[in-house]
Amino acid sequence: MTIGIATYLLYLAISIALTVWVARTLHKSGRIFLVDVFHGNEPLADSVNHLLVVGFYLVNLGYVSLALKLGYEIASPKESIEALSVKVGTVLLVLGGMHFFNLFIFSRMRHRATMRNAPPPVYPDAFTPVQEV
Amino acid sequence: MSTLTMLYDPSCGLCRRVQGWLAEQPKLVEIKMIPIKTEAARQRYPKLNHELTADDLTVVSDEGAVYFGPKAWLMVLWALCRYRDWAYRLATPRLLPTTRRVVSMISEHRYQISRAAGLAR
Repeated sequence: MTIGIATYLLYLAISIALTVWVARTLHKSGRIFLVDVFHGNEPLADSVNHLLVVGFYLVNLGYVSLALKLGYEIASPKESIEALSVKVGTVLLVLGGMHFFNLFIFSRMRHRATMRNAPPPVYPDAFTPVQEV
Repeated sequence: MSTLTMLYDPSCGLCRRVQGWLAEQPKLVEIKMIPIKTEAARQRYPKLNHELTADDLTVVSDEGAVYFGPKAWLMVLWALCRYRDWAYRLATPRLLPTTRRVVSMISEHRYQISRAAGLAR
């Protein structure tokens, strides 16, 4: 195995492990949020949570796969580590961006759900009997 | 609260325009519209001072809570999916005085505004 192949394999292993870790964190902690958003409707919350995580995996693994190619030959372990750090660094930034995007979606859903049941913004001026006809 | 009844002035072009706009908005609370000082309004709210409803917008909830003037406007915003956020923002202590001033001014001059905007009948 050349040092170039080893670098690629190491890159894949680290990136996939990181993606799995972030996705699991999202899945675990996002669930509580979603259960609250859907008023305790756990099957629905689990379903939406699952769909979000699948999307997360697709985008991240897609990026990891697209960013694999290095474009130059690696001659020494030093170059290998440098190449790895650049690649893994960008993967981490993409993961971070996706993660915050997901948090944004969660908080917006929650905001909407709380808005839906929010009380009137002002107190009434008076009360009057209503005659339904 | 599931319905808000809005007592609007059908003789004001601006009010008719707003009413048309309201009808198309997605709502969180249903809005029913009754023209002011009509038989329908008097029958539904026998104890309400119907002379006052000509001065400013009046909104009544299905439980009989009456909101008048700026509060009625805020309640209408609150009933709309897209503007509930705004109802709370405009009702904060910092913005409420301005909201009241602006709304009262518009209500007071609604016929002039309608004429100027070419909305009068």
